[in-house]
Amino acid sequence: MERTSPTARGFRGFNTLTWVMIPVAIAINIAIGQLVYALKIPLYLDSVGTVLVGALAGPWAGALTGLLANLVWGLSGLNVSYAPFAAVAAVIGLLAGLFSESGWFRKIWKVLVAGLITGLVAAAISAPISAYVFGGVTGGGQDALVGIYRGIGLGILPAAFAQGVSSDPLDKMVTYLLVWLIIRALPLRFLMRFANGELVRGDEANEGTSAGSTVTPGS
Amino acid sequence: MTIPFSLYAPRESGLHKLHPLTKLALAGFVALCALVLPRAASYLLFLLLIVPLALWGRVFGRLMSAALRVALPFAISLLIIQGLFWQTGPILARVGPISIKLDGILFAVSTIGRILAILSSFVLLSLTTRPDALMLALSQRGLPDVIAYIILTTLQIIPRFQSKAQTIIDAQRSRGLETEGGLLHRIRALLPLVVPLVLSSIVDIEERAIALEARAFSHPGTKTSLFDLSDSLPERIFRWSLLAIALIIVVVRILTLRSA
Repeated sequence: MERTSPTARGFRGFNTLTWVMIPVAIAINIAIGQLVYALKIPLYLDSVGTVLVGALAGPWAGALTGLLANLVWGLSGLNVSYAPFAAVAAVIGLLAGLFSESGWFRKIWKVLVAGLITGLVAAAISAPISAYVFGGVTGGGQDALVGIYRGIGLGILPAAFAQGVSSDPLDKMVTYLLVWLIIRALPLRFLMRFANGELVRGDEANEGTSAGSTVTPGS
Repeated sequence: MTIPFSLYAPRESGLHKLHPLTKLALAGFVALCALVLPRAASYLLFLLLIVPLALWGRVFGRLMSAALRVALPFAISLLIIQGLFWQTGPILARVGPISIKLDGILFAVSTIGRILAILSSFVLLSLTTRPDALMLALSQRGLPDVIAYIILTTLQIIPRFQSKAQTIIDAQRSRGLETEGGLLHRIRALLPLVVPLVLSSIVDIEERAIALEARAFSHPGTKTSLFDLSDSLPERIFRWSLLAIALIIVVVRILTLRSA
């Protein structure tokens, strides 16, 4: 019988809680994505878990969550067309971690700006993938926008980008807002077990806790 | 071990018996070729590789229904949007103010081939490979165990999350939450659904972390598996040849693109 590779050596700073959080975050992505679909809300909101992990456990954990989330969308057969966009999802998680490390999750207006920026970046990276792999269409309601942009004379790639810019920023702003609300509802004891736990709470919460005293070191 | 939530369709077939990496290499080969070759060549890839393999694996019906379910919305959008809004080229037909362009239709049809080939290669892999076997094969080749853990755990907990989401919808509805009506109403309904879903799942994260730690999850040593995978020399040779052919195709394609 062959032996398997050593575990997690390349992932210093990720504690067991982070590893356990990632599958749950991916399942949250999928469950909320389907909830939004059931409520017929014209948004995706399929990266709430990814942004949450990025905010709590840092950019690399966020990027890994995004990447694996889209592969799982494919492997599970829930939506195979998500798999080619795995790189976009990884960047979304990476950005969430970077914003969190810069303290942007403390103030609501910064959370909204971070969502806006993430939406613009996501639109910019997904447009070439969409244009090259899928001919610039999404296969969903957003294609009405693609049709309008093609109709006014934009090429395939510009039309895909324009569609992304029209719908992604709002989607990511709502995503960030949801994550901000979730973080405020999470118990402080739980938050403090993550690498960036003390960076995501509002200022009023930080005054009450001595920074770093309850953070568990990376395993 | 329970089979995780996935497309996997157990069958007695030669394709199913192949080593997971061989099937991964085949799927990757088709997807790569569909990406680098001209769009229209994807139909050949689909007919000459995917269809015979699916028939051999006795999953042709499942493959077609799964691949078409995803590809069909793209196909409809492509034909309508690129057919109607293509800017140049000859006009195929004219209905009142709307004109259908030949070049747009050609682009749409060839792109549908690319989408079909890429999606069906992925579906074929999922249909004929147990996710746990694939992850074991990959971690034997150096993929960190935690990545395999994440993917397999996720596949196992997805159904639980879906039923949890449904329970929360039902519970909140019974307390008077309106999940229908205007858009603003429905958006407002989102928060009382999302927060309980996330909070309830967070509760068992900590418990699972403790359970895993008690089982040496983060121990740096090597671990053994109960699951045995059979690999053979011909399969190994086949995988290396696929890789070599793929490299040749990519190099030739880059050279011809530069000269064109």
